[in-house]
Amino acid sequence: MGFLAPWFLGGLAALGVPVFIHLLRRHRATPRPVSSLMFFERGTQSSTRHRRLRYLLLFALRCALVLLVVLAFANPYTRKATADTNSQLLLIVLDHSFSMRAGTRFGDAKQQALALLSGKPHAQRAQIMSLGGQFAMRTAAIMDDAQLRAALENIQPGDGHANFGELGQAMRSLAETERGPIALHLFSDMQRTAMPSNLSEAVLPSNVELVLHPVANGPAPANWTVESVEAPATLSDPKDPKHSRARVVIAGFGTPAATKTVSLAVNGRTIATRKVDVPASGRATVDFAPLEVGHGFNRCEAQVQGEDAFPADDSSVFAVRWSDPERVLFVHAADDTRSALYFGSALSAATQGSFVLQTVAAEQATDLDPSKYAFVVLSDTVTLPGIFEHTLGQYVAKGGRILIALGISASHHIQIPLWGADVKATHDYAREGGTAAVGQVDFSYPALDQGQPGADNGGWAEVKVFYAAVPEAGQARVAARLSDGTPLLLDKQVGQGHIVLLASGLENLTNDLPLQPVFVVFVDRLARYLSGEEHLSGSKVVDSFVQLRGPAEPAGVAASVEVIDPGGRRPLSLNEAGALQSFRLERAGFYQIRFANGRDAVIGVNPDRRESNLEPLSKDVQDLWSGASGSSGTYQAGSAPAQRKTRPVSLWWYVMLLALVVAVAETALASGYLGTQREEA
Amino acid sequence: MQRFLDPNVLAGISSLDLLAKTVVDGFVAGLHRSPDFGFSQEFAEYRAYVPGDDLRHVDWNLFARTERCYLKRYRGETNTQVTVLLDASNSMQYASGQVTKMDYARFIAASLFYLAIHNQRDAAGLIVFDEDVREYIRPSTRPGQLARLFAGLERAEPRATTDFAKPLRHFQNLLHRRGIVILISDFYEEPEKIVRASGPLRFHGNEVVLLHILDPQEIRPELRGSALLVDLETDRRIEVIPEYARTTYRARIDTHIEDLRSRAQGAGMDYQLLVTSEPLDRALRQYLSLRQADN
Repeated sequence: MGFLAPWFLGGLAALGVPVFIHLLRRHRATPRPVSSLMFFERGTQSSTRHRRLRYLLLFALRCALVLLVVLAFANPYTRKATADTNSQLLLIVLDHSFSMRAGTRFGDAKQQALALLSGKPHAQRAQIMSLGGQFAMRTAAIMDDAQLRAALENIQPGDGHANFGELGQAMRSLAETERGPIALHLFSDMQRTAMPSNLSEAVLPSNVELVLHPVANGPAPANWTVESVEAPATLSDPKDPKHSRARVVIAGFGTPAATKTVSLAVNGRTIATRKVDVPASGRATVDFAPLEVGHGFNRCEAQVQGEDAFPADDSSVFAVRWSDPERVLFVHAADDTRSALYFGSALSAATQGSFVLQTVAAEQATDLDPSKYAFVVLSDTVTLPGIFEHTLGQYVAKGGRILIALGISASHHIQIPLWGADVKATHDYAREGGTAAVGQVDFSYPALDQGQPGADNGGWAEVKVFYAAVPEAGQARVAARLSDGTPLLLDKQVGQGHIVLLASGLENLTNDLPLQPVFVVFVDRLARYLSGEEHLSGSKVVDSFVQLRGPAEPAGVAASVEVIDPGGRRPLSLNEAGALQSFRLERAGFYQIRFANGRDAVIGVNPDRRESNLEPLSKDVQDLWSGASGSSGTYQAGSAPAQRKTRPVSLWWYVMLLALVVAVAETALASGYLGTQREEA
Repeated sequence: MQRFLDPNVLAGISSLDLLAKTVVDGFVAGLHRSPDFGFSQEFAEYRAYVPGDDLRHVDWNLFARTERCYLKRYRGETNTQVTVLLDASNSMQYASGQVTKMDYARFIAASLFYLAIHNQRDAAGLIVFDEDVREYIRPSTRPGQLARLFAGLERAEPRATTDFAKPLRHFQNLLHRRGIVILISDFYEEPEKIVRASGPLRFHGNEVVLLHILDPQEIRPELRGSALLVDLETDRRIEVIPEYARTTYRARIDTHIEDLRSRAQGAGMDYQLLVTSEPLDRALRQYLSLRQADN
C-alpha cells in the first residue's frame, strides 16, 4: 500500500473546514413562537442531544468526503499478486549487437530466449524484438508459438551498437498502446557502453517489469582492437609521403601491456607490418607511409595480430581512391590576383593535392565549359561574358555548384550573376572606423561542418570583416552572419545545383579570413561540398547514413542509385533505387555505391568501436536499472524463467467512487437541515 | 348557513356586532330545523301524575279524552346572568392559520353576548384578565350593554402572562347573583390549579363552563426539523426535534386535556375543548344547554 502522488496528502489540511463549521462555529437557528413551553420542557435535552448526534453524523460525512477526495488525488495503490500470467505480455528482447559475436554470447542468449519461450503458456501473448543498431520488432504481440520461435531463430548477430536508451524509449512508446503488464526479458551481454550516460533515458514505464538475462559473467576479457584509422579518402600522388599515409590507433580494453603486430593490407595484399608497444589498457599509434595504392578505389584493411577475446574487431577497413587531381575553375577580376593566390594555397594544403586550381580572368572565360571542372569559383566578378553566364546557368541547373565571392566590385554593380537577386546595400566597416566580426555560424552546414566547435566559435571569432555586401537572401539558407546580422555565407539551390554566396571577398582587402587558420578548414569543407565528395569519406561507422541524392531532386526523375553491400548483394529494390534519399550502412565491410549524380564511391564500414569494450555493467547498475522498473531482479544464465510476484494496482477509482457515495449521503442529510431552516424562516 | 360559523369566514368580518349577529342568526336558523329542540315553544313535556303533584298542572283535556292523568310541564321564562371571563394573556395570540386563539375567543364571547342579550334577554357581563383583572363590565340588560361588551372585547389585546388565582379571587367579589360563568382560556396551567382556582365560583350556585381554546398545531404539532421554540409569555427558548413533538408532546397535551376535563367535571363544572379551526356552534350549544338546565 502506498501513494503514487503523496504530496497531495497536504490537502488533509482541508479537514479544518468541517471542523470549523461544526465544532467551532456557533449554531444559529431561527426562533419559532409557541403559546407555551409547558409540555416541551422534558423534550429539550433529548432533542438537543439528537440534533448534535445528527450534526455529528453530517460532520463525519463531510470529514470523510474531504479525506476521500484527498486520498483520491494522492492516488493510493496496492501491490496485487498476479496469479494470472496470461494477461501479461511477454516481451523477449535479444541483443544482436556486434559485441554479441564474442565467444558464444549470441548462441547462449538465443538458447536462453528459446527456453523461456518454450515455457510460455500457450494463451499468453508474446512479442520478439531485437536490440543492436536499430531497435526492431520482429513480431507483433501474438500467441503463435511457432511464429515466435521462428522469429527468434531468424535473428542473426549484427554489426550495430546496442543502446539501452533506445530500448527505454521503445518501451515508453509501447506502453502508450499496451496498457497491461509487460514482462520484458532482455538477453544481452549487458555492455557498459550500451547504457546511456543519463540512466533516466533507460528507465522503463511502470507497467514494464524488466528481467535481465546477462550472458557474459565475470570480469571483462582482454581485447585489442583497431580503434581508428586516419587516412586520406582521395590521393593524387601515392608517392607523396606527406599526404600518402595512414595512421592506425590500436586500443586495448582490459589488456596488459603487450607488443602487438599491426599490418596494413591493400586490396587483400599486405603491404606493410609494424610492431607497436601497447600499454596496459591503453592506446598506441602506428603510421604507414607511403600507401602503395593503385588507380581507382583501393580497399584497405588495418589489422592487429594476436589472439584475444574478440577477434572480430581486430581489423578496420577503409577505402582510398587514387585519382588525378580535379580541376577547379577560378574566375576573377582582371585586377585581382590575391584571391586566387589565397584560395589556391588553402585548397592545395587542405585537399592534399586532390584539386588543381585553374585561374582565369572574367573576360577570358567566354569559351570555357564549366562541366569539365569539379566546381567553379567567381571571385568578385559581377560582370561575366554573356555566353559564359548562360553556360554557367545551365551548369548549375544540371547539378553544378558555384561559389560566388562578392568583393569591392559589388558596390558598383548591384546585380549578382546567377543569384537571381541584387545587392541591397554594402557595409564599409573600415571606413566607418571599425570591423565586423562573425557572430553566428551554422556548423550543421556542410561547408562549415565542425564536430565540436570551440569557444572561439570554431575559429571564426578571430575573423575581421572590413567590407561586406548585403545581398537579398530570399529563400537562401544563411549559414553565417556577421555580428550586426548581415548575412555572410548563403546557400541557394538553383535547379539541381547550388550556389554558395560569400558576402565578402576571398582576398585580404575586404576581410582577414585568408590569414586565419580557419580559412584552410573552410576551403577544405567547401571544396568537398562543392565537388560533391562529402559523401565519399573513406570509412564510416555501422548504422550511419549515406546521402544518395540531393534533397531537392525529384524522385524518379533523377538517375537511379546503386548500392552493393559487403556480401555482394544489392539491398535496394528498383523502386528504392529510384527514390531513396539516404541509405543506412548496417553491415561492416566495403559498400560500393553509385550516387544519383553519377559518381562512384567505395566506403569502408566498421562497427562502432564502443562495442569492443566488453566490460559489462556493474551488478549495482543492473539492479538499479531493473529495480527502477519495479522488476524482481536479474537472472543468471540457465536459471528458471522469472516469475512475477506483485504489481501495483491503483485504488484511485474505488476511492473516488466511495467519495461520490459519501457526497450523495452528505447532500441528502444537509438538504434536510436546509428544509428545516426554510420552514422555520 | 353553516359556513357562517366557520372561523376563517368570520375572520373577514371586522365588526363584532355584525359577526355576532351572523353567527347567532345562522345558529338559530339551524336549530329550527332540529326536531329535538323547540326554542320558541313554551311546552316542555308530559309526565304521569303521582300523588302530591299540584293538580293545577294536570291536563284535563287529555284526561277527558283518555281518562289518564298527566301533568303538562311548561318551560319557564326567567332571566339569568351570563358572565364571560376572557383570558387575554400573550399565549392567546398564537395562531397557525388566519385566526388567533384570541380572535376565536372574541368570536365566541361576542356570539354568546348577542345570543344572551338579543335573544334571551339575559344580563351579560365581561371580565378580561391575564395575571390580573384588566377590565370588568358589570352584567346588565340595559340598552347599550351589547355595545359596551363588544367594545370591551375590542380592547382585550393579549399581553402579559396568565394567573388564574388572582383574577378569579377578585371575580368572586364581583358576583352577587347566581348565573352562568364562562371561562375562556387556553389553560396553560396545571389542571389542579385551574380547578382549584375556579372551584369557588360554583359555591355561589353558578354554572361554570370552561371553554378550552387551542390551535390545531398545539394539539398535533408538526415539525419537519429541529426548531427553536420561543414561549410567547416568558420568552424562554428550547430546541425541539420533530420526533419529540410527534410522540411525547402529543401524549402530554392529551393527558393534560383529559386531566382538565375530568377534574372540571369532578368539580361540577362543564368543560368544552374548542379548536380554532372548528365552527363556533359547539360553544353556543353548550350555552343553551346550560340555559335550559338552569331553568
